Amino acid sequence: MFGRYLNFVRGVATNWWGRLGVILTTSSFVCMVVMELARLVGLITSSYAGLVSYMVFPALFILGLLLIPIGWRRLRKQTGKSSRELRESKFGKEFGVASFGGSRLFRTVAVLSVVNIVFLLIVSSRMFAFMDTAEFCGTACHSVMNPEWVTYQQSPHARVDCVQCHVGEGAEALVDSKLNGLWQIASVTFDLLERPIPTPVHQLRPARQTCEKCHWPDKFYGHRLKTITRYGHDSASIRLYTTLSLKVDAGTIQRRGGIHWHIAQENEVRYASVEDKREKIIWAEVLRPDGSYHRYTSTDDAAIGRDALSVRTMDCVDCHNRATHIYELPDRAIDDRIQKGVLDRSLPFLKREALHAVSAGYVSREAAMEGIANHIHGFYQRHYPDLARSRVMTLDSVITVLQGIYNRNIHPGMKIEWRTYPSHIGHVGEGGCFRCHNPRMVDENRSAISSDCALCHSMLSNGHDDPFQYLRPADTLSPDYQMHLYLQQEFMTSSKSNGP
Amino acid sequence: MKHITGVVLLMLTFALLAHADSNPTDAQVSGKCMTCHKEKSAGLYQQWFMSAHAMHKVTCIDCHGARQEDKDAFMHEGGLIATLVTPKDCGACHPKEQTEVENSYHAHAGEILESADAYLAHVAGGEPVAIMGCESCHGGKVEIDHNSPNRLSPKSWPNAGIGRLNPDGSKGSCNACHTRHSFSVAQARKPEACSKCHLGPDHPQKEVYEESKHGNAYYTHMDEMSIDSDRWIVGVDYFEAPTCATCHMSATIGTPVTHDVGRRISWTLRPPVSKFKDDWETKRADMKAVCNTCHSSTFADGHYYQLDALVKLYNEKFAKPATEIMRIVKERNLLESPASFGNKIEWVYWELWHHEGRRARHGAAMMGPDYTWWHGIYDVAQHFYFKLLPEARKINDPELNAYIDGLITDDPMHAWLSTPTGELKEKIRSGEIQEIYKALFE
Repeated sequence: MFGRYLNFVRGVATNWWGRLGVILTTSSFVCMVVMELARLVGLITSSYAGLVSYMVFPALFILGLLLIPIGWRRLRKQTGKSSRELRESKFGKEFGVASFGGSRLFRTVAVLSVVNIVFLLIVSSRMFAFMDTAEFCGTACHSVMNPEWVTYQQSPHARVDCVQCHVGEGAEALVDSKLNGLWQIASVTFDLLERPIPTPVHQLRPARQTCEKCHWPDKFYGHRLKTITRYGHDSASIRLYTTLSLKVDAGTIQRRGGIHWHIAQENEVRYASVEDKREKIIWAEVLRPDGSYHRYTSTDDAAIGRDALSVRTMDCVDCHNRATHIYELPDRAIDDRIQKGVLDRSLPFLKREALHAVSAGYVSREAAMEGIANHIHGFYQRHYPDLARSRVMTLDSVITVLQGIYNRNIHPGMKIEWRTYPSHIGHVGEGGCFRCHNPRMVDENRSAISSDCALCHSMLSNGHDDPFQYLRPADTLSPDYQMHLYLQQEFMTSSKSNGP
Repeated sequence: MKHITGVVLLMLTFALLAHADSNPTDAQVSGKCMTCHKEKSAGLYQQWFMSAHAMHKVTCIDCHGARQEDKDAFMHEGGLIATLVTPKDCGACHPKEQTEVENSYHAHAGEILESADAYLAHVAGGEPVAIMGCESCHGGKVEIDHNSPNRLSPKSWPNAGIGRLNPDGSKGSCNACHTRHSFSVAQARKPEACSKCHLGPDHPQKEVYEESKHGNAYYTHMDEMSIDSDRWIVGVDYFEAPTCATCHMSATIGTPVTHDVGRRISWTLRPPVSKFKDDWETKRADMKAVCNTCHSSTFADGHYYQLDALVKLYNEKFAKPATEIMRIVKERNLLESPASFGNKIEWVYWELWHHEGRRARHGAAMMGPDYTWWHGIYDVAQHFYFKLLPEARKINDPELNAYIDGLITDDPMHAWLSTPTGELKEKIRSGEIQEIYKALFE
């Protein structure tokens, strides 16, 4: 059997083309089998191995198979002999003798073809499975996708594969995504891509088919308590709480419910934005029970007279645009690390100096690493020389954490700086909710979309060392006395009114 | 002291009355304003939070709350409010100040539409400069525009001019000096509060003050002047230097604080020819009371003796002849362009009194020697002799020529023009030239 195979192989390895084909096919087959076995028994664990065993070797294998007939064709042209003459000269006459089930040559080719097809089927299914893994998406185009890969791995969706949100189900989505992938390979190879990469808001699958698989609107009810912990710029980096009772209801009828009212089944909210970037809103409108739309138009200079390139119906990602690829703001990142206990705020002015260190503009990653270390060492050496000597380890760990914050969020190669990809959740500055909820979005009667704080959340504390500041009795001597009373009352009554 | 306590008590009473007047939902309304604006106007909120208003529980709605009949009232997040806070609104708690302001020259600064200043801005400039230039200081007429988010026409608001004509009929704008929303007394007492408007080529009060010893002392000792203390009596709470407010408004040991800025001014140094103001003796006495806190009365008297002579010099030697020339020109219809300011001589005359003449007078009044002479009378003289007279000569009208000839030959103040230098120098040494000006000191 092996002899017959060798004979066959010798026959097809007619010239350099044929020989190369045979070598490529055979060696990549063997390597692939060996690597897969090694993976199965646990010898190979690197996710990069998948790139080689499911992508490089199959490609070489197919290339080899293609080279063999090319070699054969070239041989026929060179010698000017017919296929039969060549076949007889290469394989011997008895190979071509017709018998039951075809000649021996035919049977050999048929058997090998079946083996190839079965093998390729297995390999391609493994390949597609591998291409569906987050490792593939995150590491195949390493330099380009690295920022997204880094942020994804630290996000709440780190256990959800990229393709579950970015590629749809069914053959069409698969073909689409693979064609898209081809373009991406070309754009990476020939450096055609934009830096920073624009957020692919338009290619995203509808949230109804992705997000709502796990988070469906009926699930959003009642109030949800959110405590935001911040740290001050004083020497003790004082801890300050902002506690919000978020009114996350989806609502069942118009003008009832809370934040998720925007995407409730019964409601439809649409908007158009400047250059379709979903940042500056041109107009927003809500479907009324009679089927017409009530429109609010922006009176902002940046929006007046701008054409609506497309009309967008709100779903999850209009607010939760960074549910996964979360880029932190520098002060929030530092607050987060202090809260997690990895930055030690017993160091004087830790919050303030850490913020200076990470958010100074650095020309390169190397400069940033050095600059962060210099800033922290420099500050404590200058102002707290004793501490700089006695707490070297603590300062080193601060530097490591701050460098980590920088590396997680800033990617000079992809031109990603602080605030390159703004998050629309909540409101920082004029963004997020305030894109529409601002006094400049007015209807034909010039009444504006409400930007009342209590529309979306009650406030139980606002930058205070007591997380439930406004639930305590109000201090009659404080300038904020009336605000305190209002917020307390608002919370009490709003909780009541949301009951059945 | 008693007086100050009285004012404070009065203020507190009004504040309490304002509270007693409010309905029970007020905390709900005011608390709501504060909640959102703490986030959305964080700077404004913190200015207010640190202010005396916050200390006395005067919140957003107490000043911005409106009544249905207010022309500029509009609904905002469930509350009826107005953007504009007028002296009438402030007067609810500060009635004495409101009355003083109403009767002051400041409150009438917005009625300038008929003045040469406004005419010039509208014709030689254009409406945008009238709005952003003139009306920013003088105050404009705030118009109602129902299409505007806050019902105020964007052409007429923002405006914090000191004589703003408000839709409620009141005149003025307290925040012209009491910058919102901290309404800090320190800020209002500092010269910078005045120098938003009182500076520049036509009335460089700020520059004159900086040049003077008063300004010099202030900038040296500004941190030692208890400028943010509630009571601020010169000679009691501070003594290092006077600011604009010290002399023109603030309390002295014997004089109460006033919001009528003209209360202590005896000369009108603004018009082409200066005049003593009505009841100028009382006004001068009030000003001298301030001077006397730090100077002897002989010193203050001496200053006014010199100042009066300087003002009269300007009046008699330049202002009155120049004004007479312009009177003849206008009366005899000698100008080419029918439009006021369409002729060069009108600009020369205008700058002579409106710019240079005022610089000389203000410089002298506030003891800025350089403004009195080099930026003042020197410019007046040069432009009188070598711009105004040549322009008038060009017209070549017999009556005008006769007037100018008479002035140059008969008026001993101008006779130097046809006298040899050596002779003049001798006359200066002998005191003969000075003798010509003797009458100005009487």
